[in-house]
Amino acid sequence: MAIILVVEDDALIRMVAEMMIQDWGHETLSASDEDEALTILRSSQRIDALFTDIYLKASVLGGCNLASQAIALRPQLRVLYTTGNSLTEKMTALFVAGAHCLGKPYTQQQLQDSVAEMLAT
Amino acid sequence: MGDSEIAAGDIVETVPSALIILDQNLIIKSANRAFYQTFRTSPQETEGSLIYNLGNRQWDIPALRNLLESVIPHRASVEGFEVEHDFPTIGRRTMLVNARKILRGGDHDGYILLAIEDVSEERAARAESKRNWQLTQSIVDTIRDPLVVLEGDMTIVTASKAFLKMFGITEAETRGRRVAELGQHQWDVPALRHLMEKVLPENKPIESFEIEDNFPGLGLRVFNLNARKISQPGNHAHRMLLVFEDITDRKQRERDALVLTNEISHRIKNNLQIVVGLIAYEAKFTEASCVQGYKAMQARIGAIAQLYDLISQSSLGRTVAVDAYLREIAKVMSASLIGDASGIKIEVKAEALEIDPDHAVPFGLLVNELATNAIKHAFPHGDGHITLSVEQVGDEIELVVADDGIGIQDKVVTKIAQKRGADYVAIFVRQLGGTILPAPSDEPGTIVRIRLPLLLVSSGGAAPLAA
Repeated sequence: MAIILVVEDDALIRMVAEMMIQDWGHETLSASDEDEALTILRSSQRIDALFTDIYLKASVLGGCNLASQAIALRPQLRVLYTTGNSLTEKMTALFVAGAHCLGKPYTQQQLQDSVAEMLAT
Repeated sequence: MGDSEIAAGDIVETVPSALIILDQNLIIKSANRAFYQTFRTSPQETEGSLIYNLGNRQWDIPALRNLLESVIPHRASVEGFEVEHDFPTIGRRTMLVNARKILRGGDHDGYILLAIEDVSEERAARAESKRNWQLTQSIVDTIRDPLVVLEGDMTIVTASKAFLKMFGITEAETRGRRVAELGQHQWDVPALRHLMEKVLPENKPIESFEIEDNFPGLGLRVFNLNARKISQPGNHAHRMLLVFEDITDRKQRERDALVLTNEISHRIKNNLQIVVGLIAYEAKFTEASCVQGYKAMQARIGAIAQLYDLISQSSLGRTVAVDAYLREIAKVMSASLIGDASGIKIEVKAEALEIDPDHAVPFGLLVNELATNAIKHAFPHGDGHITLSVEQVGDEIELVVADDGIGIQDKVVTKIAQKRGADYVAIFVRQLGGTILPAPSDEPGTIVRIRLPLLLVSSGGAAPLAA
Protein backbone atom coordinates (compact mmCIF):
# COMPACT_ATOMS: atom_id res chain seq x y z
CA MET A 1 0.00 0.00 0.00
CA ALA A 2 1.36 3.36 -1.04
CA ILE A 3 0.35 7.00 -0.70
CA ILE A 4 0.11 8.74 -4.05
CA LEU A 5 -0.34 12.47 -4.67
CA VAL A 6 -2.64 12.96 -7.69
CA VAL A 7 -2.30 16.38 -9.36
CA GLU A 8 -4.88 17.10 -12.06
CA ASP A 9 -6.68 20.36 -12.86
CA ASP A 10 -9.83 18.66 -14.18
CA ALA A 11 -11.85 17.71 -11.08
CA LEU A 12 -13.75 14.88 -12.78
CA ILE A 13 -10.60 13.26 -14.20
CA ARG A 14 -8.90 13.66 -10.82
CA MET A 15 -11.80 11.91 -9.07
CA VAL A 16 -11.76 9.05 -11.59
CA ALA A 17 -7.98 8.62 -11.25
CA GLU A 18 -8.16 8.63 -7.46
CA MET A 19 -10.98 6.11 -7.56
CA MET A 20 -8.98 3.81 -9.84
CA ILE A 21 -5.89 4.04 -7.64
CA GLN A 22 -7.83 3.50 -4.41
CA ASP A 23 -9.32 0.35 -5.98
CA TRP A 24 -5.95 -1.38 -5.57
CA GLY A 25 -5.68 -0.45 -1.90
CA HIS A 26 -3.52 2.66 -2.25
CA GLU A 27 -4.26 5.95 -0.58
CA THR A 28 -4.48 9.18 -2.50
CA LEU A 29 -3.90 12.86 -1.80
CA SER A 30 -5.09 15.39 -4.34
CA ALA A 31 -4.20 18.81 -5.69
CA SER A 32 -5.47 20.80 -8.66
CA ASP A 33 -2.39 22.93 -9.41
CA GLU A 34 1.32 23.37 -8.64
CA ASP A 35 0.81 25.57 -5.55
CA GLU A 36 -1.59 23.17 -3.87
CA ALA A 37 0.70 20.26 -4.66
CA LEU A 38 3.81 22.03 -3.32
CA THR A 39 2.01 22.87 -0.07
CA ILE A 40 1.37 19.14 0.47
CA LEU A 41 4.90 18.20 -0.65
CA ARG A 42 6.41 20.67 1.85
CA SER A 43 4.37 19.19 4.73
CA SER A 44 5.50 16.23 6.83
CA GLN A 45 2.84 13.99 5.19
CA ARG A 46 4.17 10.64 3.97
CA ILE A 47 4.07 10.53 0.15
CA ASP A 48 5.47 7.62 -1.91
CA ALA A 49 4.67 8.82 -5.42
CA LEU A 50 3.49 11.76 -7.50
CA PHE A 51 1.04 11.22 -10.38
CA THR A 52 0.72 14.51 -12.23
CA ASP A 53 -0.86 15.91 -15.37
CA ILE A 54 1.65 17.89 -17.43
CA TYR A 55 -0.69 20.69 -18.56
CA LEU A 56 -1.88 22.29 -15.32
CA LYS A 57 -4.34 25.16 -15.75
CA ALA A 58 -2.43 28.01 -17.42
CA SER A 59 0.96 26.34 -17.19
CA VAL A 60 1.66 24.25 -20.30
CA LEU A 61 4.54 22.38 -18.65
CA GLY A 62 3.31 22.85 -15.06
CA GLY A 63 3.52 19.13 -14.21
CA CYS A 64 7.16 18.97 -15.37
CA ASN A 65 8.10 21.97 -13.22
CA LEU A 66 6.20 20.54 -10.27
CA ALA A 67 7.95 17.14 -10.50
CA SER A 68 11.39 18.77 -10.61
CA GLN A 69 10.62 20.82 -7.48
CA ALA A 70 9.09 17.76 -5.80
CA ILE A 71 12.25 15.71 -6.39
CA ALA A 72 14.32 18.58 -4.98
CA LEU A 73 12.18 18.46 -1.83
CA ARG A 74 11.89 14.66 -1.63
CA PRO A 75 14.65 12.89 -3.61
CA GLN A 76 13.11 9.43 -2.97
CA LEU A 77 9.75 10.34 -4.55
CA ARG A 78 8.59 8.28 -7.57
CA VAL A 79 6.99 10.18 -10.44
CA LEU A 80 4.45 9.26 -13.16
CA TYR A 81 3.30 11.88 -15.68
CA THR A 82 0.13 11.94 -17.77
CA THR A 83 -0.97 14.18 -20.64
CA GLY A 84 -3.77 14.62 -23.14
CA ASN A 85 -1.35 16.24 -25.60
CA SER A 86 1.16 14.63 -27.90
CA LEU A 87 4.34 13.93 -26.02
CA THR A 88 7.02 16.36 -27.26
CA GLU A 89 10.79 16.34 -26.84
CA LYS A 90 10.41 19.60 -24.94
CA MET A 91 8.36 17.68 -22.35
CA THR A 92 10.53 14.58 -22.11
CA ALA A 93 13.67 16.72 -21.73
CA LEU A 94 12.15 18.06 -18.50
CA PHE A 95 11.22 14.63 -17.09
CA VAL A 96 12.85 13.62 -13.84
CA ALA A 97 15.19 10.63 -14.16
CA GLY A 98 13.46 7.29 -14.62
CA ALA A 99 9.93 8.70 -14.86
CA HIS A 100 7.35 7.52 -17.43
CA CYS A 101 4.36 9.21 -19.00
CA LEU A 102 0.92 7.68 -19.43
CA GLY A 103 -1.05 9.12 -22.36
CA LYS A 104 -4.70 10.04 -21.85
CA PRO A 105 -7.08 8.42 -21.97
CA TYR A 106 -5.68 5.50 -20.01
CA THR A 107 -7.64 2.48 -18.93
CA GLN A 108 -7.78 1.28 -15.36
CA GLN A 109 -5.51 -1.59 -16.37
CA GLN A 110 -2.93 0.72 -17.95
CA LEU A 111 -2.91 3.00 -14.91
CA GLN A 112 -2.58 -0.02 -12.62
CA ASP A 113 0.37 -1.36 -14.66
CA SER A 114 2.07 2.05 -14.71
CA VAL A 115 1.58 2.65 -11.01
CA ALA A 116 2.80 -0.85 -10.19
CA GLU A 117 5.90 -0.35 -12.32
CA MET A 118 6.58 3.07 -10.79
CA LEU A 119 6.34 1.67 -7.24
CA ALA A 120 8.50 -1.35 -8.08
CA THR A 121 11.49 0.76 -9.18
CA MET B 1 30.06 50.99 -121.73
CA GLY B 2 33.33 49.14 -122.33
CA ASP B 3 34.43 45.54 -121.59
CA SER B 4 35.50 46.33 -118.07
CA GLU B 5 32.07 47.77 -117.42
CA ILE B 6 30.40 44.65 -118.74
CA ALA B 7 32.56 42.55 -116.41
CA ALA B 8 31.64 44.82 -113.53
CA GLY B 9 28.02 44.43 -114.60
CA ASP B 10 28.31 40.64 -114.24
CA ILE B 11 29.59 41.02 -110.71
CA VAL B 12 26.82 43.45 -109.90
CA GLU B 13 24.23 40.92 -111.13
CA THR B 14 25.41 38.35 -108.62
CA VAL B 15 25.12 40.66 -105.60
CA PRO B 16 21.96 39.88 -103.57
CA SER B 17 21.37 43.54 -102.63
CA ALA B 18 19.53 45.81 -105.03
CA LEU B 19 22.11 48.01 -106.79
CA ILE B 20 21.68 51.01 -109.08
CA ILE B 21 24.23 53.23 -110.74
CA LEU B 22 23.37 56.88 -111.22
CA ASP B 23 25.21 59.51 -113.15
CA GLN B 24 25.94 62.94 -111.75
CA ASN B 25 22.47 64.12 -112.81
CA LEU B 26 20.86 61.26 -110.92
CA ILE B 27 19.87 59.54 -114.13
CA ILE B 28 19.85 55.78 -113.71
CA LYS B 29 22.55 54.22 -115.86
CA SER B 30 21.84 50.65 -114.86
CA ALA B 31 20.42 48.47 -112.11
CA ASN B 32 20.87 44.80 -111.16
CA ARG B 33 18.39 41.92 -111.18
CA ALA B 34 17.89 42.15 -107.42
CA PHE B 35 16.71 45.74 -107.86
CA TYR B 36 14.18 44.84 -110.56
CA GLN B 37 12.89 41.94 -108.49
CA THR B 38 12.63 43.83 -105.23
CA PHE B 39 10.90 46.87 -106.67
CA ARG B 40 8.95 45.03 -109.41
CA THR B 41 10.19 47.07 -112.31
CA SER B 42 12.05 46.45 -115.60
CA PRO B 43 15.22 47.77 -117.31
CA GLN B 44 13.02 49.54 -119.94
CA GLU B 45 11.20 51.54 -117.28
CA THR B 46 14.35 52.19 -115.34
CA GLU B 47 17.45 52.92 -117.41
CA GLY B 48 17.77 56.53 -118.61
CA SER B 49 15.15 57.74 -116.15
CA LEU B 50 15.70 60.31 -113.42
CA ILE B 51 15.62 58.32 -110.19
CA TYR B 52 12.80 60.49 -108.78
CA ASN B 53 10.62 59.84 -111.83
CA LEU B 54 10.92 56.10 -111.56
CA GLY B 55 7.55 54.26 -111.35
CA ASN B 56 5.19 57.26 -111.32
CA ARG B 57 7.57 59.27 -109.09
CA GLN B 58 7.35 56.78 -106.27
CA TRP B 59 11.10 57.25 -105.63
CA ASP B 60 10.61 60.96 -105.13
CA ILE B 61 11.27 60.57 -101.43
CA PRO B 62 12.36 63.58 -99.33
CA ALA B 63 14.86 61.47 -97.38
CA LEU B 64 16.42 60.16 -100.60
CA ARG B 65 16.56 63.64 -102.10
CA ASN B 66 18.34 64.78 -98.97
CA LEU B 67 20.85 61.92 -99.29
CA LEU B 68 21.56 62.39 -102.97
CA GLU B 69 21.55 66.20 -103.12
CA SER B 70 22.91 67.31 -99.75
CA VAL B 71 24.98 64.45 -98.32
CA ILE B 72 26.60 62.67 -101.29
CA PRO B 73 28.12 65.78 -102.93
CA HIS B 74 30.22 66.38 -99.84
CA ARG B 75 31.22 62.82 -99.00
CA ALA B 76 32.78 59.93 -100.84
CA SER B 77 30.44 57.39 -99.23
CA VAL B 78 27.43 57.05 -96.94
CA GLU B 79 26.51 53.89 -95.13
CA GLY B 80 23.38 52.70 -93.37
CA PHE B 81 21.15 55.59 -94.43
CA GLU B 82 17.65 54.48 -93.49
CA VAL B 83 14.71 55.33 -95.75
CA GLU B 84 11.16 54.40 -94.84
CA HIS B 85 8.54 54.85 -97.55
CA ASP B 86 5.14 53.70 -98.79
CA PHE B 87 5.61 52.33 -102.29
CA PRO B 88 2.35 52.11 -104.31
CA THR B 89 3.48 48.81 -105.84
CA ILE B 90 5.14 46.99 -102.93
CA GLY B 91 3.77 48.74 -99.85
CA ARG B 92 5.57 50.16 -96.90
CA ARG B 93 9.26 49.38 -96.91
CA THR B 94 12.23 50.21 -94.77
CA MET B 95 15.44 50.37 -96.78
CA LEU B 96 19.01 50.69 -95.77
CA VAL B 97 20.93 52.64 -98.42
CA ASN B 98 24.70 52.57 -98.85
CA ALA B 99 26.03 55.08 -101.36
CA ARG B 100 29.50 55.40 -102.88
CA LYS B 101 30.90 57.81 -105.43
CA ILE B 102 32.81 56.10 -108.22
CA LEU B 103 35.37 58.39 -109.82
CA ARG B 104 37.35 57.22 -112.77
CA GLY B 105 40.72 58.57 -113.74
CA GLY B 106 40.40 62.01 -115.43
CA ASP B 107 36.64 61.89 -115.20
CA HIS B 108 35.46 64.30 -112.52
CA ASP B 109 31.84 63.64 -113.02
CA GLY B 110 31.82 59.98 -112.05
CA TYR B 111 28.91 57.83 -110.94
CA ILE B 112 27.01 57.09 -107.77
CA LEU B 113 26.56 53.46 -106.75
CA LEU B 114 23.54 52.91 -104.54
CA ALA B 115 23.14 49.61 -102.71
CA ILE B 116 19.62 49.31 -101.36
CA GLU B 117 18.86 46.65 -98.80
CA ASP B 118 15.26 45.91 -97.93
CA VAL B 119 15.27 45.56 -94.14
CA SER B 120 11.48 45.79 -93.75
CA GLU B 121 11.07 42.28 -92.39
CA GLU B 122 13.96 42.61 -90.00
CA ARG B 123 12.61 45.93 -88.74
CA ALA B 124 9.09 44.48 -88.46
CA ALA B 125 10.48 41.52 -86.50
CA ARG B 126 12.37 43.89 -84.24
CA ALA B 127 9.24 45.98 -83.68
CA GLU B 128 7.24 42.79 -83.04
CA SER B 129 9.84 41.62 -80.57
CA LYS B 130 9.68 45.00 -78.81
CA ARG B 131 5.87 44.84 -78.69
CA ASN B 132 6.10 41.27 -77.33
CA TRP B 133 8.54 42.38 -74.69
CA GLN B 134 6.25 45.27 -73.73
CA LEU B 135 3.30 42.87 -73.62
CA THR B 136 5.28 40.43 -71.47
CA GLN B 137 6.32 43.25 -69.18
CA SER B 138 2.72 44.46 -68.87
CA ILE B 139 1.55 40.91 -68.09
CA VAL B 140 4.37 40.58 -65.55
CA ASP B 141 3.24 43.87 -64.00
CA THR B 142 -0.39 42.78 -63.67
CA ILE B 143 0.52 39.62 -61.70
CA ARG B 144 -0.17 40.27 -58.06
CA ASP B 145 2.68 38.10 -56.78
CA PRO B 146 6.14 39.65 -57.00
CA LEU B 147 8.24 37.94 -59.64
CA VAL B 148 11.54 38.27 -61.42
CA VAL B 149 12.96 36.86 -64.62
CA LEU B 150 16.54 35.66 -64.29
CA GLU B 151 19.30 35.00 -66.78
CA GLY B 152 21.20 31.72 -66.74
CA ASP B 153 23.84 33.37 -64.52
CA MET B 154 21.09 34.20 -61.93
CA THR B 155 21.17 37.95 -62.61
CA ILE B 156 17.83 39.75 -62.84
CA VAL B 157 16.57 40.61 -66.34
CA THR B 158 13.28 42.12 -65.26
CA ALA B 159 11.23 42.50 -62.10
CA SER B 160 7.47 43.01 -61.80
CA LYS B 161 5.98 46.21 -60.34
CA ALA B 162 4.70 44.13 -57.41
CA PHE B 163 8.27 42.96 -56.75
CA LEU B 164 9.68 46.50 -56.84
CA LYS B 165 6.90 47.79 -54.59
CA MET B 166 7.19 45.01 -52.06
CA PHE B 167 10.94 45.27 -51.69
CA GLY B 168 11.04 49.06 -52.00
CA ILE B 169 13.61 49.10 -54.79
CA THR B 170 13.79 50.62 -58.25
CA GLU B 171 14.04 48.73 -61.50
CA ALA B 172 17.55 50.10 -62.01
CA GLU B 173 18.58 48.65 -58.64
CA THR B 174 17.48 45.16 -59.62
CA ARG B 175 18.78 44.92 -63.16
CA GLY B 176 21.90 42.80 -63.54
CA ARG B 177 21.99 41.96 -59.83
CA ARG B 178 21.64 38.54 -58.28
CA VAL B 179 18.66 37.64 -56.11
CA ALA B 180 21.08 36.71 -53.31
CA GLU B 181 22.38 40.31 -53.26
CA LEU B 182 18.96 41.90 -52.72
CA GLY B 183 17.82 43.46 -49.46
CA GLN B 184 19.90 42.27 -46.54
CA HIS B 185 20.87 39.06 -48.31
CA GLN B 186 17.77 37.24 -46.98
CA TRP B 187 17.60 35.22 -50.17
CA ASP B 188 21.21 34.15 -49.88
CA VAL B 189 20.29 30.71 -48.58
CA PRO B 190 22.52 27.78 -49.60
CA ALA B 191 19.57 25.39 -49.99
CA LEU B 192 17.77 27.86 -52.28
CA ARG B 193 20.92 28.53 -54.29
CA HIS B 194 21.42 24.80 -54.68
CA LEU B 195 17.85 24.36 -55.97
CA MET B 196 18.07 27.35 -58.30
CA GLU B 197 21.23 25.97 -59.87
CA LYS B 198 19.25 22.89 -60.90
CA VAL B 199 16.30 24.69 -62.51
CA LEU B 200 17.97 25.43 -65.84
CA PRO B 201 20.39 22.54 -66.49
CA GLU B 202 18.09 19.84 -65.14
CA ASN B 203 14.76 21.52 -65.91
CA LYS B 204 13.77 20.88 -62.32
CA PRO B 205 11.21 23.41 -61.12
CA ILE B 206 11.30 24.68 -57.54
CA GLU B 207 7.93 24.16 -55.91
CA SER B 208 7.17 25.88 -52.64
CA PHE B 209 10.51 26.71 -51.06
CA GLU B 210 9.69 28.54 -47.85
CA ILE B 211 11.70 31.42 -46.42
CA GLU B 212 10.75 33.13 -43.19
CA ASP B 213 12.65 36.26 -42.24
CA ASN B 214 12.49 39.87 -41.16
CA PHE B 215 12.40 42.03 -44.28
CA PRO B 216 13.21 45.76 -44.00
CA GLY B 217 9.98 47.76 -44.24
CA LEU B 218 7.89 44.59 -44.31
CA GLY B 219 8.53 42.99 -40.94
CA LEU B 220 8.35 39.26 -40.39
CA ARG B 221 7.23 37.60 -43.58
CA VAL B 222 6.96 34.08 -44.95
CA PHE B 223 7.52 33.66 -48.68
CA ASN B 224 6.89 30.66 -50.84
CA LEU B 225 9.28 30.56 -53.79
CA ASN B 226 8.47 28.87 -57.07
CA ALA B 227 10.83 28.80 -60.03
CA ARG B 228 10.75 27.27 -63.48
CA LYS B 229 12.59 27.39 -66.74
CA ILE B 230 11.33 29.55 -69.60
CA SER B 231 12.31 28.34 -73.05
CA GLN B 232 12.16 30.72 -76.01
CA PRO B 233 11.36 29.00 -79.32
CA GLY B 234 14.30 29.14 -81.71
CA ASN B 235 16.58 30.45 -79.01
CA HIS B 236 19.05 28.39 -77.02
CA ALA B 237 19.23 30.95 -74.22
CA HIS B 238 17.05 29.94 -71.27
CA ARG B 239 15.73 32.10 -68.53
CA MET B 240 14.10 31.40 -65.21
CA LEU B 241 10.87 32.74 -63.78
CA LEU B 242 11.02 33.16 -60.00
CA VAL B 243 7.76 33.94 -58.19
CA PHE B 244 7.63 35.16 -54.59
CA GLU B 245 4.31 34.28 -53.01
CA ASP B 246 3.64 36.03 -49.71
CA ILE B 247 2.09 33.32 -47.53
CA THR B 248 2.50 35.13 -44.20
CA ASP B 249 -1.26 35.34 -43.54
CA ARG B 250 -1.90 31.78 -44.69
CA LYS B 251 0.94 30.55 -42.51
CA GLN B 252 -0.46 32.40 -39.51
CA ARG B 253 -3.91 30.88 -40.14
CA GLU B 254 -2.30 27.43 -40.33
CA ARG B 255 -0.50 28.02 -37.04
CA ASP B 256 -3.70 29.26 -35.40
CA ALA B 257 -5.50 26.19 -36.73
CA LEU B 258 -2.79 23.95 -35.28
CA VAL B 259 -3.07 25.58 -31.85
CA LEU B 260 -6.84 25.15 -32.04
CA THR B 261 -6.50 21.53 -33.18
CA ASN B 262 -4.15 20.78 -30.28
CA GLU B 263 -6.52 22.44 -27.85
CA ILE B 264 -9.50 20.48 -29.18
CA SER B 265 -7.44 17.29 -29.19
CA HIS B 266 -6.48 17.90 -25.56
CA ARG B 267 -10.12 18.38 -24.58
CA ILE B 268 -11.30 15.36 -26.54
CA LYS B 269 -8.72 13.14 -24.88
CA ASN B 270 -9.61 14.49 -21.46
CA ASN B 271 -13.27 13.78 -22.17
CA LEU B 272 -12.43 10.27 -23.37
CA GLN B 273 -10.49 9.84 -20.14
CA ILE B 274 -13.65 10.66 -18.19
CA VAL B 275 -15.63 8.16 -20.30
CA VAL B 276 -13.03 5.44 -19.68
CA GLY B 277 -13.05 6.32 -15.96
CA LEU B 278 -16.84 6.11 -15.77
CA ILE B 279 -16.80 2.72 -17.49
CA ALA B 280 -14.20 1.56 -14.94
CA TYR B 281 -16.39 2.89 -12.14
CA GLU B 282 -19.47 1.17 -13.57
CA ALA B 283 -17.52 -2.10 -13.87
CA LYS B 284 -17.05 -2.14 -10.11
CA PHE B 285 -20.73 -2.70 -9.58
CA THR B 286 -21.24 -5.13 -12.45
CA GLU B 287 -21.52 -8.89 -12.30
CA ALA B 288 -18.18 -10.63 -12.78
CA SER B 289 -19.26 -12.19 -16.10
CA CYS B 290 -19.67 -8.71 -17.66
CA VAL B 291 -16.43 -7.16 -16.36
CA GLN B 292 -14.40 -8.52 -19.30
CA GLY B 293 -16.69 -6.69 -21.74
CA TYR B 294 -16.30 -3.41 -19.84
CA LYS B 295 -12.53 -3.84 -19.88
CA ALA B 296 -12.49 -4.49 -23.65
CA MET B 297 -14.60 -1.37 -24.15
CA GLN B 298 -12.09 0.68 -22.17
CA ALA B 299 -9.20 -0.75 -24.18
CA ARG B 300 -10.81 0.03 -27.55
CA ILE B 301 -11.62 3.62 -26.56
CA GLY B 302 -8.02 3.87 -25.38
CA ALA B 303 -6.70 2.60 -28.72
CA ILE B 304 -8.71 5.11 -30.75
CA ALA B 305 -7.58 7.88 -28.40
CA GLN B 306 -3.94 6.81 -28.68
CA LEU B 307 -4.14 7.09 -32.44
CA TYR B 308 -6.14 10.32 -32.20
CA ASP B 309 -3.16 12.66 -32.64
CA LEU B 310 -1.87 10.75 -35.63
CA ILE B 311 -5.29 10.65 -37.20
CA SER B 312 -6.07 14.33 -36.64
CA GLN B 313 -2.66 15.32 -38.01
CA SER B 314 -2.86 12.99 -41.00
CA SER B 315 -6.21 14.42 -42.09
CA LEU B 316 -4.64 17.88 -42.49
CA GLY B 317 -2.33 16.85 -45.35
CA ARG B 318 -3.09 15.92 -48.93
CA THR B 319 -1.44 12.54 -48.59
CA VAL B 320 -0.22 10.43 -45.70
CA ALA B 321 3.22 8.82 -45.86
CA VAL B 322 2.52 5.22 -44.84
CA ASP B 323 6.04 4.47 -43.64
CA ALA B 324 6.14 7.45 -41.26
CA TYR B 325 2.57 6.73 -40.16
CA LEU B 326 3.41 3.12 -39.38
CA ARG B 327 6.49 4.14 -37.40
CA GLU B 328 4.38 6.58 -35.40
CA ILE B 329 1.80 3.86 -34.66
CA ALA B 330 4.60 1.52 -33.57
CA LYS B 331 6.04 4.26 -31.34
CA VAL B 332 2.67 4.94 -29.69
CA MET B 333 2.07 1.22 -29.16
CA SER B 334 5.60 0.54 -27.89
CA ALA B 335 5.20 3.34 -25.34
CA SER B 336 2.17 1.55 -23.90
CA LEU B 337 4.04 -1.75 -23.51
CA ILE B 338 4.93 -1.90 -19.86
CA GLY B 339 4.93 -4.46 -17.11
CA ASP B 340 4.44 -8.00 -18.41
CA ALA B 341 4.48 -6.85 -22.04
CA SER B 342 7.67 -4.76 -21.82
CA GLY B 343 9.75 -7.49 -23.50
CA ILE B 344 7.79 -7.16 -26.75
CA LYS B 345 9.53 -5.25 -29.53
CA ILE B 346 7.63 -3.70 -32.44
CA GLU B 347 9.59 -3.20 -35.65
CA VAL B 348 8.59 -1.45 -38.86
CA LYS B 349 9.73 -2.38 -42.37
CA ALA B 350 8.14 -0.01 -44.83
CA GLU B 351 8.65 1.37 -48.30
CA ALA B 352 8.03 5.08 -48.93
CA LEU B 353 4.39 4.94 -50.06
CA GLU B 354 1.54 7.39 -49.79
CA ILE B 355 -2.15 6.92 -49.08
CA ASP B 356 -5.23 9.12 -49.09
CA PRO B 357 -5.83 10.79 -45.68
CA ASP B 358 -9.46 9.62 -45.85
CA HIS B 359 -8.18 6.06 -45.57
CA ALA B 360 -5.64 6.75 -42.83
CA VAL B 361 -8.14 6.28 -39.98
CA PRO B 362 -9.37 2.76 -40.85
CA PHE B 363 -5.80 1.85 -41.92
CA GLY B 364 -4.41 2.99 -38.56
CA LEU B 365 -7.16 1.19 -36.63
CA LEU B 366 -6.56 -1.97 -38.68
CA VAL B 367 -2.84 -1.96 -37.89
CA ASN B 368 -3.64 -1.22 -34.25
CA GLU B 369 -6.13 -4.09 -34.05
CA LEU B 370 -3.71 -6.62 -35.57
CA ALA B 371 -0.80 -5.51 -33.42
CA THR B 372 -2.95 -5.43 -30.29
CA ASN B 373 -4.07 -9.01 -30.99
CA ALA B 374 -0.44 -10.07 -31.30
CA ILE B 375 0.52 -8.29 -28.06
CA LYS B 376 -2.41 -9.87 -26.19
CA HIS B 377 -2.22 -13.41 -27.46
CA ALA B 378 1.13 -14.25 -29.06
CA PHE B 379 3.48 -13.89 -26.13
CA PRO B 380 2.38 -15.60 -22.92
CA HIS B 381 5.95 -15.21 -21.61
CA GLY B 382 6.00 -11.47 -22.31
CA ASP B 383 8.73 -11.23 -24.91
CA GLY B 384 8.97 -11.47 -28.69
CA HIS B 385 8.94 -9.49 -31.91
CA ILE B 386 6.11 -7.98 -33.90
CA THR B 387 6.90 -6.72 -37.39
CA LEU B 388 4.67 -4.24 -39.18
CA SER B 389 5.48 -3.98 -42.87
CA VAL B 390 4.07 -2.42 -46.02
CA GLU B 391 5.26 -2.82 -49.56
CA GLN B 392 3.95 -2.11 -53.01
CA VAL B 393 2.68 -5.19 -54.87
CA GLY B 394 1.48 -4.24 -58.34
CA ASP B 395 -0.86 -1.31 -57.83
CA GLU B 396 -1.78 -2.34 -54.29
CA ILE B 397 -0.28 -2.07 -50.83
CA GLU B 398 0.45 -5.25 -48.94
CA LEU B 399 0.27 -4.89 -45.18
CA VAL B 400 1.86 -7.67 -43.16
CA VAL B 401 1.63 -7.93 -39.39
CA ALA B 402 3.78 -10.81 -38.22
CA ASP B 403 4.85 -12.07 -34.82
CA ASP B 404 7.20 -14.83 -33.66
CA GLY B 405 4.89 -15.91 -30.85
CA ILE B 406 2.99 -19.09 -30.14
CA GLY B 407 0.72 -18.86 -33.18
CA ILE B 408 -3.02 -19.47 -33.20
CA GLN B 409 -3.30 -22.67 -31.14
CA ASP B 410 -6.80 -23.74 -31.91
CA LYS B 411 -8.18 -22.50 -35.19
CA VAL B 412 -11.73 -23.71 -34.54
CA VAL B 413 -12.46 -22.81 -30.94
CA THR B 414 -11.34 -19.22 -30.60
CA LYS B 415 -12.09 -17.24 -27.54
CA ILE B 416 -14.98 -14.79 -27.83
CA ALA B 417 -12.68 -11.80 -27.26
CA GLN B 418 -10.26 -12.94 -29.97
CA LYS B 419 -13.10 -13.47 -32.37
CA ARG B 420 -14.36 -9.97 -31.72
CA GLY B 421 -10.86 -8.66 -32.54
CA ALA B 422 -10.92 -10.61 -35.78
CA ASP B 423 -14.34 -9.18 -36.56
CA TYR B 424 -12.94 -5.67 -36.27
CA VAL B 425 -10.11 -6.61 -38.65
CA ALA B 426 -12.65 -7.88 -41.20
CA ILE B 427 -14.68 -4.67 -40.86
CA PHE B 428 -11.68 -2.40 -41.48
CA VAL B 429 -10.43 -4.51 -44.40
CA ARG B 430 -13.91 -4.40 -45.97
CA GLN B 431 -14.08 -0.64 -45.41
CA LEU B 432 -10.76 -0.25 -47.25
CA GLY B 433 -11.82 -2.55 -50.10
CA GLY B 434 -8.99 -4.97 -49.36
CA THR B 435 -8.59 -8.73 -49.09
CA ILE B 436 -7.04 -10.93 -46.41
CA LEU B 437 -4.59 -13.39 -47.97
CA PRO B 438 -4.25 -16.95 -46.66
CA ALA B 439 -1.49 -17.19 -44.06
CA PRO B 440 1.50 -19.41 -44.77
CA SER B 441 1.11 -22.54 -42.63
CA ASP B 442 4.79 -23.47 -42.25
CA GLU B 443 5.92 -20.20 -40.62
CA PRO B 444 6.18 -19.98 -36.84
CA GLY B 445 4.05 -17.41 -35.04
CA THR B 446 1.15 -15.62 -36.70
CA ILE B 447 1.35 -13.80 -40.01
CA VAL B 448 -1.54 -11.72 -41.33
CA ARG B 449 -1.21 -10.49 -44.92
CA ILE B 450 -3.67 -7.99 -46.32
CA ARG B 451 -3.82 -6.44 -49.79
CA LEU B 452 -5.26 -2.92 -49.91
CA PRO B 453 -6.00 -0.80 -53.00
CA LEU B 454 -4.73 2.38 -51.34
CA LEU B 455 -1.70 3.31 -53.37
CA LEU B 456 -1.50 6.92 -54.54
CA VAL B 457 0.69 7.42 -57.60
CA SER B 458 2.76 10.60 -57.32
CA SER B 459 2.50 13.07 -60.20
CA GLY B 460 5.35 13.39 -62.72
CA GLY B 461 7.74 16.35 -63.28
CA ALA B 462 6.49 19.60 -64.76
CA ALA B 463 7.21 20.66 -68.33
CA PRO B 464 9.05 23.97 -68.92
CA LEU B 465 6.99 27.03 -69.81
CA ALA B 466 7.31 28.27 -73.36
CA ALA B 467 7.85 32.06 -73.58
